[in-house]
Amino acid sequence: MADFTRRDVIKAQAVAAAAAAAGVAVPASAQNLVTDADLTELNWSKAPCRFCGTGCSIMVATKAGRVVATHGDSKAEVNRGLNCVKGYFLSKIMYGEDRLTQPLLRKTNGVYDKEGEFTPVSWDEAFDIMAEKWKATLKEKGPKGIGMFGSGQWTVWEGYAASKLMKAGFRSNNIDPNARHCMASAVAGFMRTFGIDEPMGCYDDFENADAFVLWGSNMAEMHPILWTRIADRKFSHPHVKVAVLSTFKHRSFDLADIPMVFTPQTDLVLLNYIANYLIQNDAVNHDFVGKHVNFRLGNPDIGYGLRPEHPLEQAAENADKAGGSSEMTFEEFATYVEPYTLEYAAEMSGVPAERIEEMAKLYADPDTKVMSLWTMGVNQHTRGVWVNNMIYNIHLLTGKISTPGNSPFSLTGQPSACGTAREVGTFSHRLPADLLVANEEHRRFSEKIWKIPEGTIPGKVGAHAVLQNRLLKDSKINCYWVQVNNNMQAAPNMMEEGLPGYRNPDNFIVVSDAYPTVTAEAADLILPTAMWVEKEGAYGNAERRTQFWHQLVDAPGESMSDLWQLVEFSKRFTTDEVWDAELLEANPEFKGKTLYEVLYKNGQVDAFPIEEASPDNANHEAEAFGFYIQKGLFEEYAQFGRGHGHDLAPFDVYHKERGLRWPVVDGKETQWRFKEGSDPYAKPGSDYDFYGHPDGRARIFALPFEPAPEVPDEEYPYWLSTGRVLEHWHSGSMTQRVPELYKAVPDALCYMHPDDAKEQGLRRGSEVRVSSRRGEIITRIETKGRNKPPRGLVFVPWFDASQLINKVTLDATDPISKQTDFKKCAVKIEPVAG
Amino acid sequence: MKTILISAFVVVTATAAFSENQVATLRGKAPLAETYTAPTFPKVDNSDVRQVRNYPEQPPVIPHKIDGYQIDTKFNKCLDCHSRTAIEVSQAPMVSITHFMDRDSQFLASVSPRRYFCTQCHVPQAEGQPLLENTFVDVDQVLDYIKSNEGGGQ
Amino acid sequence: MRRLLSRMWWLLSKPATHLSLGFLTLGGFIMGVIFWGGFNTALELTNTEEFCTGCHEMRDNVFVELQSTVHYSNASGVRATCPDCHVPHAWSSKIARKMAASKEVYGKIFGTISTREKFEAKRLDLAQHEWARFEANDSLECRNCHSSESMDVTLQSKRASEAHERFLLTGEKTCISCHKGIAHELPDMSGAQEDHAQNSAVLQSYLKELEN
Repeated sequence: MADFTRRDVIKAQAVAAAAAAAGVAVPASAQNLVTDADLTELNWSKAPCRFCGTGCSIMVATKAGRVVATHGDSKAEVNRGLNCVKGYFLSKIMYGEDRLTQPLLRKTNGVYDKEGEFTPVSWDEAFDIMAEKWKATLKEKGPKGIGMFGSGQWTVWEGYAASKLMKAGFRSNNIDPNARHCMASAVAGFMRTFGIDEPMGCYDDFENADAFVLWGSNMAEMHPILWTRIADRKFSHPHVKVAVLSTFKHRSFDLADIPMVFTPQTDLVLLNYIANYLIQNDAVNHDFVGKHVNFRLGNPDIGYGLRPEHPLEQAAENADKAGGSSEMTFEEFATYVEPYTLEYAAEMSGVPAERIEEMAKLYADPDTKVMSLWTMGVNQHTRGVWVNNMIYNIHLLTGKISTPGNSPFSLTGQPSACGTAREVGTFSHRLPADLLVANEEHRRFSEKIWKIPEGTIPGKVGAHAVLQNRLLKDSKINCYWVQVNNNMQAAPNMMEEGLPGYRNPDNFIVVSDAYPTVTAEAADLILPTAMWVEKEGAYGNAERRTQFWHQLVDAPGESMSDLWQLVEFSKRFTTDEVWDAELLEANPEFKGKTLYEVLYKNGQVDAFPIEEASPDNANHEAEAFGFYIQKGLFEEYAQFGRGHGHDLAPFDVYHKERGLRWPVVDGKETQWRFKEGSDPYAKPGSDYDFYGHPDGRARIFALPFEPAPEVPDEEYPYWLSTGRVLEHWHSGSMTQRVPELYKAVPDALCYMHPDDAKEQGLRRGSEVRVSSRRGEIITRIETKGRNKPPRGLVFVPWFDASQLINKVTLDATDPISKQTDFKKCAVKIEPVAG
Repeated sequence: MKTILISAFVVVTATAAFSENQVATLRGKAPLAETYTAPTFPKVDNSDVRQVRNYPEQPPVIPHKIDGYQIDTKFNKCLDCHSRTAIEVSQAPMVSITHFMDRDSQFLASVSPRRYFCTQCHVPQAEGQPLLENTFVDVDQVLDYIKSNEGGGQ
Repeated sequence: MRRLLSRMWWLLSKPATHLSLGFLTLGGFIMGVIFWGGFNTALELTNTEEFCTGCHEMRDNVFVELQSTVHYSNASGVRATCPDCHVPHAWSSKIARKMAASKEVYGKIFGTISTREKFEAKRLDLAQHEWARFEANDSLECRNCHSSESMDVTLQSKRASEAHERFLLTGEKTCISCHKGIAHELPDMSGAQEDHAQNSAVLQSYLKELEN
């Protein structure tokens, strides 16, 4: 009870503080410096940053229920006191003037109407109409008629609760996170090569490497704090080399010793050349390869993940067996890569031969510890899984892996792409801890932990992100819930797939967000959502580090966390309404129960009383449901990974530590996996143990160069690459609302080579139409900016809600990972008439 | 071309009733399917007038243009004026002493290389109004309120 | 053969008998104009952006860098081309600079800066020559366009006007002292700063002490 009194006081103070901001007159102080400790002492707490996958730790100061300051956490290993400009402005991300504070439903004359105007409604009314629509669709089409699109920005327990609700509750695998756009190729790359997801190395590699090679990552802008660690290493140790590869010159080139601008798609050639170079120059670590590696010949000609009727899919020989491969020997592999000579690599990529060779030498030199790094340049690629595999090839051929500084490192884009999307398994094909829905054993294991009847989880892989939009357009999915992401702005080919799908009269679209985004605009029901430190949360960063935070302030108005929304919604369904009679007949004890009872009040999730929650912090969800739900969800989820290579520490430990890197065994985190002595799972005497595969060996894949699905031609003569900028995060829904960040980079621009501009009769500042076969935007030309494309390529960032570049992009995906290639399609650039 | 026309048709029919954007505040009035015009390049504040920081830890924004400033392995243009030894001539603010500390909070002989790329934290500002107001309240205002509340005798 | 040569010598050494003095004078003048004009035209041809960027060393390095700067495009549309800054305008200095350029032709032939890497290795050296030249002539080529007399510092930004009043108008510094790197990327300045440090008398004596 005391807790509520305290909270009431805090709330009252918060409201009052807001009033103060509005200009309440204040008596003047006697002195011009406040010194009273009661006033000057701020309440500091830790929280991971809300933005990228780096996972910086932030110190957050609150006073009277408001966040008043934030700065980098000096005790955190990741960032040691630093933040990037976005991180330094975290204090302001929750305070945009247009925060959503109540549910909004499209209505005409007081009733729901798909073409109506957004009208405030109560949570009850919002859930009523949602439940009505969900029940009708489930009745008509079964579980495949509903879908959910989540995020690598969900907290661990939110993603877990959502996955359970969809896969065990509604018995639908049509749940996918926006991490599909971001990390899916990395995931498939890990699973193919190592049989287990996520990097073997960690950020400590930055202080140990002698060379850094960026394979499609503008870390200077996208992972600024990790870039500070590379800059620190390089400048402090003059022998350290940095090689930067990209299809256009960007800020990371400012630190490059070996700058390489290559023709799009030819990274495949460059990587095979390096493999060939290592073999030709006797730089292969034969001892390592003989003991720890197998060779596989991957299926070629695998298509481009377009709609099946597309001519490119029809023509692809292995479109339905994209991930297939067969055994081969080292000698066969050597012959396979032999045609990838230096001359061929230079000719195809357009990079001077001597630079390519210089890079190959970094990998070849046994005394140079190399860290390879990549993000979207590699993952957002129709051959993204291949490129991931091919980078591992090089590290495996040389044995440069799993030791300090020797590290092929896949960076992540989102704060919990690893922690939530991947580890919790919110993908349409996954279950927690790398388990798969298509694997019966995995389903049985999951059903046991979840205490649900055998056969509840469907075995068919659900619809992935791009397919969900196609199914919405085709009226195959009719009820759709989007949480913590802005997919109308983020997904490819908005005009042909996304927008027609959301506005399809057959469909009911729900969007949960803190702000009215472009996706919210396209929805039928908008649910106001608590964000970041307005709820208790957990994120997992790119180096397997799980970090927790407490609820530090209250969400405005009627905003509720995604967790509350998911669990509360589950109360509106009974098993009789969503499970088939057969399953219920076989398991009569489940009859008549609500999904809430089955999934969350199951004796595990509700096992921890509210008293275990922090007495110093509010916890809205625990208060609402009457038990420490975050702890219950986490401890149930942790059962999946403990003893299986994904061990998480006990819940309470994370509230004290600045995060820990899994597997956490006997209270100890793991820095380098697969290496005996460092990874508790590596068998004694193995030296290296790639235990993700049953034979303990990693796999090297022989894969060819294949062209991109759409290349520039006479009509559409330019490559288009999209991407982010340092000052804005993703679609800008938070950062565009921070005035300082908005003013730093207000609008999207089309970065173009000055000679291309001149040839087109354009100049810096010219208003242009950037158009593809699918859609167009209007923007302006920049020839002097931070990005300097070569001739024949333009770059447009996607943060700007008023210039939706994804109207232009192509929804081609990697056929294995189903991740979109946002870096390559063909466009034309024309002046706007007049 | 055909597909574009067809999809455009679908969009037009599907969105007939919402010809104007209702809630997406970052977009102005243009409905989702449309793009009206792109704003011209804004002028960048070059006034050299320092701005109040929202909180002491906030990196100050740059009150001048930095077009063409070189910050690479060869040279750091910012330090030309803001380094410890340059400020007497330049009369610019010196880089914060925190910038001399390494990862382990030890002071170095010069600015730490981890702070080398200034624009990771410090950014120039376009002139004009923000797209949307932000209701962040700085700690002084919060304290003033608390004080006035106490003074008012609750 | 010998006969032919001696006949020609005879012809050339013989005073003109059939041509008028006027014709000869005028002809000589015209020929003079043609030769002189040709020389000058050739000189001017080598004094253009096109000529300077005709070789890839200039085009792919310094010219690309120039393109994104204010000296290439700006509000008023006045462009400084390569010779505006790098070739003196006064005739004698121009000829001297052109003769010095024979070294650059040599460099071109032997590929001293034929790759980006080679150019970067030599950049400091090349830049220091130009800076020394500008320091020596009080930034004459800058002042051909930017004279301090016609500069209204009140119209400049606060920072610029203060600096100009303090250093430029007093003659304490010349343009290049502060504006290095205004049109091209700067070389690795760690080398340049060492040079600067070595000029310091205090440092010199300290180093000497250490040696003893």
